[in-house]
Amino acid sequence: MTNRPALAAWLREPLLHFLLIGAALFALYHYLNPGNAGAPREIVVSESQVEALAENFAKTWMRPPTAQELKGLIDDYVAEEVYYREAIAMGLDRDDIVIRRRLRQKMEFISEDVTAAAQPTDAVLQAYLEQHAEKFLQPPRLTFQQVFFSTDRRGDGAMRDAEKLLAQLDAGRGPPNPIEAGDPTLLPPAMESATPQEIVNSFGSDFADAVERAPVGQWSGPVRSGFGVHLVRVDRRDAGAMPTLTEIRPIVQREWESDQRREVTAELLAKLRSKYDVRVEGPAAGLYGSAAAGRAGGGVP
Amino acid sequence: MIHRVLAVAVGLVLGATAALPSHAYEPTTSNTAAPAQSSKVPYSPYVGRAYPTRPYFGDTHLHTAFSMDAGAFGARLTPRDAYRFARGEVVTASSGQQARLSRPLDFLVVADHSDNMGFFPDLFAGKPDVMADPTGKKWHDLILAGQGAQAAMEIIRAFSQGTFPKALMYAPGTPGYRGAWMETIAAAEQYNQPGAFTAFIGYEWTSNTGGNNLHRNVIFRDNGDKASQVEPFTVYPPAGSDKPQDLWKWMAAYEQQPGGQVLAIAHNGNLSNGRMFTMVESFTGKPFDRDYIETRAKWERLYEATQTKGDGETHPFLSPNDEFANFERWDFGNLDASVPKTKDMLQYEYARMALRNGLKLESEFGTNPYKFGMIGSSDAHTGLTAMEENNFFGKTTPQEPSPHRMMATFVDNPKTRIKVMDWQVSSSGYAAVWATENTREALWDAMQRKETYATTGPRMVVRFFGGWDFDKGDALKPDLALTGYGKGVPMGGDLSRAPAGKSPAFLVAAMKAPIGANLDRVQIVKGWLDARGETREQVYDVAWSGGRKPGKDGKVPAIGSTVDVVNASYTNSIGAPELITVWKDPAFDAKQRAFYYVRVIEIPTPRWTAYDAKRFGVQPLPGTQMTVTERAYTSPIWYTP
Repeated sequence: MTNRPALAAWLREPLLHFLLIGAALFALYHYLNPGNAGAPREIVVSESQVEALAENFAKTWMRPPTAQELKGLIDDYVAEEVYYREAIAMGLDRDDIVIRRRLRQKMEFISEDVTAAAQPTDAVLQAYLEQHAEKFLQPPRLTFQQVFFSTDRRGDGAMRDAEKLLAQLDAGRGPPNPIEAGDPTLLPPAMESATPQEIVNSFGSDFADAVERAPVGQWSGPVRSGFGVHLVRVDRRDAGAMPTLTEIRPIVQREWESDQRREVTAELLAKLRSKYDVRVEGPAAGLYGSAAAGRAGGGVP
Repeated sequence: MIHRVLAVAVGLVLGATAALPSHAYEPTTSNTAAPAQSSKVPYSPYVGRAYPTRPYFGDTHLHTAFSMDAGAFGARLTPRDAYRFARGEVVTASSGQQARLSRPLDFLVVADHSDNMGFFPDLFAGKPDVMADPTGKKWHDLILAGQGAQAAMEIIRAFSQGTFPKALMYAPGTPGYRGAWMETIAAAEQYNQPGAFTAFIGYEWTSNTGGNNLHRNVIFRDNGDKASQVEPFTVYPPAGSDKPQDLWKWMAAYEQQPGGQVLAIAHNGNLSNGRMFTMVESFTGKPFDRDYIETRAKWERLYEATQTKGDGETHPFLSPNDEFANFERWDFGNLDASVPKTKDMLQYEYARMALRNGLKLESEFGTNPYKFGMIGSSDAHTGLTAMEENNFFGKTTPQEPSPHRMMATFVDNPKTRIKVMDWQVSSSGYAAVWATENTREALWDAMQRKETYATTGPRMVVRFFGGWDFDKGDALKPDLALTGYGKGVPMGGDLSRAPAGKSPAFLVAAMKAPIGANLDRVQIVKGWLDARGETREQVYDVAWSGGRKPGKDGKVPAIGSTVDVVNASYTNSIGAPELITVWKDPAFDAKQRAFYYVRVIEIPTPRWTAYDAKRFGVQPLPGTQMTVTERAYTSPIWYTP
């Protein structure tokens, strides 16, 4: 993050985006709606606005409006504008849950679009990869065999039988195929290049933890699982590896975007909120500490 | 509108210094970023075989906010969120609480309703086109005012009854629709990681005429390059149709151009009011013709036999001698509760009876239209495929965990007096697929050959092989799969040409989930067409735990229960972790068509309602089911003379 050119960092500042977009929206709005840009007490219905009204009418009725009808449309538009301005002046929007949520939505969409607009550079993704190494680390892989002794079939004998077989194997007197000394099972007799999660999925976590610590190249155990008792022979253990950005760029970008969406939304809210002094009254004030109510919940969406 | 304006504004602001993102989805032909696999020879002779060595678990039927009803119910999660959750990540549910699976699933199909796909996000956003319609405006305002559930019910009803405003339809060919479909594909492409997690492209075709559920989920084998060349088939005319035959035509056309592969999975026959598995054409009432029979058999190779809206294996009325038949029943009427159920409808609604009737139709037409395998899935409308009893995130967003869901009403139609409570929603299920690897192609191929089974939630492992030469000793060999594939066919397969004097024998094995409840018993359900041309069924207990002796009726006595409802706990002091046996049909007649499938029954465990009652300290309503006997159903193996 620190090595980024200052300009790039500046350009990725979400609040800046937000403000610039806000300014651009404002400019665009007035460019597209010059009719509304007049003095406060003036309502100008521009030529393009009239055209839009006529076009809308034509879409419904499949013909252009008559002069009479057009006048009706314009009158209606003016009425709407008058009501709208008066209603805002009277504050009628403030206690209307539908209008409030709609406006909040519009603000949230802006922050989402800010996220979508940002295209991360390799440097940004490389930094993200390093910061969240645990997300991208390719897991260690184990290749092992196991012999299963069913506690359901053998009861306490399962443990004894497993120990007995292990002693034979240690002494070099074991059967040529030790797996055949075990009980029939749907558990895999061997797994090749299995991740810890795959071992957990098949055997449960107690077994997975135990084979993770088992020595390589020899039979060991007994190890317990939810099914019974096992001897295991780890034949190969590959340490986890960190892939390079080139190898997994789409995945890193996916994760970066997912985080970014959350962060930008939270950050924008926090910054906007910091403009306000928020005071919670009554018994609930205690939820926000005694004095600094203004920071209440800021930054957490 | 705001998004469009913003694109311009963002362009104005950033255009000079930063490249604009391309929102357009560009499909890739290859999947990127799969971890490189070394091509070493396996050490052990037991691995690297051509047959599947483990079942992959997933959900073929999950909705997100892109489905209009899900969105109206309050779902805000998108397909991307859904894939993240299924991969095992922490996701914030629409109700604001954090959610995570106990362990990741292997695959997921986001199957949003094809009609009006993407309509909801635009309704929610108040797009001008939507707001221009009085009904659209009304729904929008209801949702913003916090009455989404009412809006959802109105939307579903309007859709079912054909009164959905024409002006609001998001139909194929419109930009809004196209955008939603492209985003669905893009999400699947982004999260599909061959070998690690499969994100299928799919959708749900929602034929619901008169409120009768004939829904199908369509699953693509292909990547986005092919799927993006088409748009999903819908129900509303003129582009769509409510007749399954027309969906099959769409599927056939897709196979021609662009030359991909799709399959369709029906569900909730229990809400079809006798229309899912009919013996005559369900729309016209005319007798089936050969074409209908053959086409259905070609495209519909699986059935979703269990899900949140009730279990679909069988019904006590149809299987009076089956003491496990009364399970998570939803048999009050059709989907929108506009027509109550009558007993004569039941025979055309459930999987087991359909498998039986399929034999009859096959003897008449030469093809069995109901020769389907089984899977389970969730049909959750939350973006969260969370179907564990102690981690159940409901079917719809208002049913996400809270003290209220034990008390709340889900469906209430005063006209028909049908009322369904939230507690009746079933925390079920998942699809298990015996595939050679975790990729779209391998999983899809396994679905196509029906090497699948349904579970009501627990990830138990079930093997089932049929053949003529299995003997008792085969159940004692350490590598069961080697024997099974070597001497027989797996679930979903076929037997024929019975050797003289031989009966089919089945190698069957079931193992509990590593963290899960023990098993009570393994059963084989046989259905057949007798000498008089009538269909019959028989449930055999073939393996069970403990030293229980079958009674005079041949049934193994009930296992009992260790469930402590108040504390929402149980112990594995009863049952067995694993059951393996070889079973030979004692009443085989080589001249009679038959099918055999396995049902695995777990010991009783606390139902999600028990976990909720404990966690939230709420008193359940009278009659609330508090325990569950989870189960698995395999695809059948068919015998054809």
